[in-house]
Amino acid sequence: MKKILIGGIGNILLGDDGVGPYVARLLKAHFEFEDGVEVIDLGTPALDLIDQLTEKDAVILIDSVTTDCTEADAGAVVLYRKADIMRHRPAVRMDPHSPALVDALLSAELFGVAPADVLLVGIAGASYEAGCSLSKPVKASLEEAIAEVLNELDYLGVGYQWRKPPAELDIWWDNFDVEHKTEHNNSAAGHLEMCRSSQTAVTRQ
Amino acid sequence: MAKRITIDPITRIEGHLRIDVEVDNNAVSNAWASCTMWRGIENILRGRDPRDAWLFTQRFCGVCTTVHAMASVRAVEDALKLEVPLNAQYIRNLILIAHALHDHIVHFYQLSALDWVDILQIPKADPAATAKLAESLSPWTRNSRNEFKAAQDRVNTVASSGQLGIFMNGYWGHPAMRLSPEVNLLAFSHYVQALEYQRKALQVVGILGGKTPHIQNLTVGGVANAIDLDSTSALGMAGLEMIRVLLDEVVQFINQVYFVDVCALAAMYPEWFKIGKGVTNYLAVPDLPLDSAGTAYDLPGGTIMNGNIAGVHPFKTASDKEFRDAVSEDVTHAYYQGGKALHPWVGETEPAFTGWDGEQKYSWVKSPRFNGQPMQVGPLAQVLIGYAQGHLLTRKYTDLAIGKIGAVGGLRVTPDMLHSTLGRHAARAIRASMLAELAQKHLQLLIDNIAKGDYTVHNQPVFSGHEVEGVGTHEAPRGTLSHWIVIKDEKIKNYQAVVPSTWNASPRDRSGAHGPYEASLLHTPLARPEEPLEVLRTVHSFDPCMACACHTFDPSGRQIAKVKVL
Repeated sequence: MKKILIGGIGNILLGDDGVGPYVARLLKAHFEFEDGVEVIDLGTPALDLIDQLTEKDAVILIDSVTTDCTEADAGAVVLYRKADIMRHRPAVRMDPHSPALVDALLSAELFGVAPADVLLVGIAGASYEAGCSLSKPVKASLEEAIAEVLNELDYLGVGYQWRKPPAELDIWWDNFDVEHKTEHNNSAAGHLEMCRSSQTAVTRQ
Repeated sequence: MAKRITIDPITRIEGHLRIDVEVDNNAVSNAWASCTMWRGIENILRGRDPRDAWLFTQRFCGVCTTVHAMASVRAVEDALKLEVPLNAQYIRNLILIAHALHDHIVHFYQLSALDWVDILQIPKADPAATAKLAESLSPWTRNSRNEFKAAQDRVNTVASSGQLGIFMNGYWGHPAMRLSPEVNLLAFSHYVQALEYQRKALQVVGILGGKTPHIQNLTVGGVANAIDLDSTSALGMAGLEMIRVLLDEVVQFINQVYFVDVCALAAMYPEWFKIGKGVTNYLAVPDLPLDSAGTAYDLPGGTIMNGNIAGVHPFKTASDKEFRDAVSEDVTHAYYQGGKALHPWVGETEPAFTGWDGEQKYSWVKSPRFNGQPMQVGPLAQVLIGYAQGHLLTRKYTDLAIGKIGAVGGLRVTPDMLHSTLGRHAARAIRASMLAELAQKHLQLLIDNIAKGDYTVHNQPVFSGHEVEGVGTHEAPRGTLSHWIVIKDEKIKNYQAVVPSTWNASPRDRSGAHGPYEASLLHTPLARPEEPLEVLRTVHSFDPCMACACHTFDPSGRQIAKVKVL
C-alpha cells in the first residue's frame, strides 16, 4: 500500500489563496481513493508541513501560485516537480512562521523523511484580497486542477473512483452561490457537477 | 555617519516583518519594525453568526489555529455571560497546553537555534566528546555518541554536496557565533530530535480536537467531544491513555533537552543578558481556568510597569475590567484611516496606504497601548508577572533555570537580567516546563472529573436582543491574545483581534514611544553591519509571527532577507 498525501494549501479568508483547500474538499466529496491515500485541507501550515510530508511515498499539493505573469494568466494551472521547488532558496528567517513549502521540503530532505515524488498543482490567482470566495477565472480552472491530481494518481498507479452520489461538499466558508457551469468534456473530471453543489451549513452544536 | 540597514523578506504576498535599523559606530542607534502586509480579515466576520466566528478566526494564522479559535469562543461566552463546564475547561486547557509545547519546541529549535549554532562548525566536532559533555548536562537517553555521529553525518552529507539546502541562508562563520564544534553538534542533534517531539504534542491536539491542523471540537459554551469511557470513537479511556503516553514523552523532552539546552546556551553567551532589553512594561492575562465561571487559574496574569518587578499588579480574571478598559489601538504610524486611538469594540480597520516613511506611517500593524503605554507580551511577561506574585510553579522553574545556568557557566543570574534577549529565551523554556507539569495535572483533573460521573461538556448559548460586548483572552505562546466582539441581533456587529505580535511589533505611537521590537534593538552591537545576525537574534527571541494568514508559493524564487546597507 502506497502512502499518498493530497493536500490543499492556502488561506480560505484571502480570496484565491483558498483554492487549495477548496480543491481538497471537492476531491473528498466526489472521489473515493484506495487505502493509504489521505486528502487534507492543510490551511497554511508553515513548518508543520514537514510532519505532513514525512514518510509518504508521494505527495500531491494544490496551492495558489503567484507568477510573474499578468492578470490575464489568472486561472492558469501550472505544475511543479520536487526538483523545481527545491531549486528555490529557503524563505527568509526574518519572520519565522512564513517558511512553508520550500523550507518544509528542504527540511524533510535533511531529516531523510522527504517523499520521493512531489507534484505541486499551482493555480495562478487573480485576487488575494480578504474574502471567502474564489475569483471567476480560478473557479473556471478547478476541473483542470482536479484532472491534474487524478492524472498524477494514474501515473503513481493509485486507484480512485467517483462517488455516486457524491458526498456532502463541505465548503462552509463560501457563502455565495457558485455560478460556474460545469463543462462536459472528456477530461477525467469532466462530468463532475461539483461546483453547483449546495453549500453546507457550518457544523454547530 | 549613521548607516541605514533594511531587512525585508520581500515576498509579494507573504511579506510580513520588515526591520529597519540605523547603525552608528557598529551599534543600532534607531529602529523601525513594520509589517508589509494588509490583512483586514476581521471585516469578513461582520454580519456572521457569532457561533461560527471561531471557524473563521482559526484560519487567521496557519500556525496558531487553535489559539484564535479559543479566543473567539471565549469572546462570545464573555458577551453572553455563559459558563463553561469543567470537562470542557480541562479539554480546552489540554489542547492549549499541547499546542503551546509544540510551538515552543518548534520556535527554539527550528526557528531560532540556528541564530546561535554554527552548522558549518559541526564537521569538526568529536562525537564522543559531545556525548561526554551532553551526559554531564542531562540524563536524556538519546545523548549517545551514535546519535551525535548520525547527526554529524547528516550535516557532512549536506555540506559536501555543495548544496546547503535548508541551511542556505545562515550567517555561518559570523564572529558572533562562539560555540565550540561539540556544542554546535549537540544542539543540532537536538534540532533533529525536536521534530519528533513537537509532532507528539500536536498528536495530543489532534486526539482532543478531532483533527489537526484545524480542530473541530469547539463550540460556544463548551466542547463537542462526546465522553464515553468504553468507546474508542468518543473520548474514552483508550484516548486518555494515549494522551498520557504522548505527554510523558513530550514532558521528558522539554525538561531534559529543551530546558537544559536553553540554560547551556545562556551560560555560553552571557553577554546577551545585557542586550535586547527594550520595553519593560509587561502584560499577561490569567489562563488555564480551573472552574466553570473562570475565577481561578493555573497561570497568573497582570502588569509590570517600567521594569518594577516588586510593583506587579495582578489581574483577577481573564477578562478583568482593568484590562478591558485599558486597551486601545493607535494608528498614528500605521496605514489606517482615523486619528484617535480607539478601543477595540469601536475599532476600525480602514486602510490608507501611503508607503514606508519612518517619520510618518510605516506599518500595517496598529499600535496597541495599555493606558497609553506600549507593553511587551510573551513568555517573559508571563514569567516575570508570575515570579513577582510569588506564583509557586513559576518560582520553581525560574529558580531551576537560574541554578542550571550558574552550574554550567558560573554566571549568577538575577531576575532583573531577564529583561534581555536571552531572558526571553529562558522565560520560554521556563514556561514550557511549567506547562509540561500542568499538562499532566489537567489530564488528571479531567480523568478524575469524569470518574465522578460528570459527562457534561456544553452549556447552551442564549442570545438576547440587546447589543452585547465581550472579550475573549488567551495567554498564547507569543503572549496575550484578545478577541473583541460586539453582538447585535445574534449577528456580529464588530470584531477585532489584538494579537501578541501586534503588541510586540507595534510601530511608534502618537507620543513617539517605540514598540517592543524597536526598543529592544536600540544599542545592539553589530560585528558586521552587512550581516546583521545580532538583529535577528533579538527579533527572533520574541518569536514573531506576523501574518501566517496568507501562504502562496512564488515560483519566481525567493531571496534571503534583503539586507540593504545605505
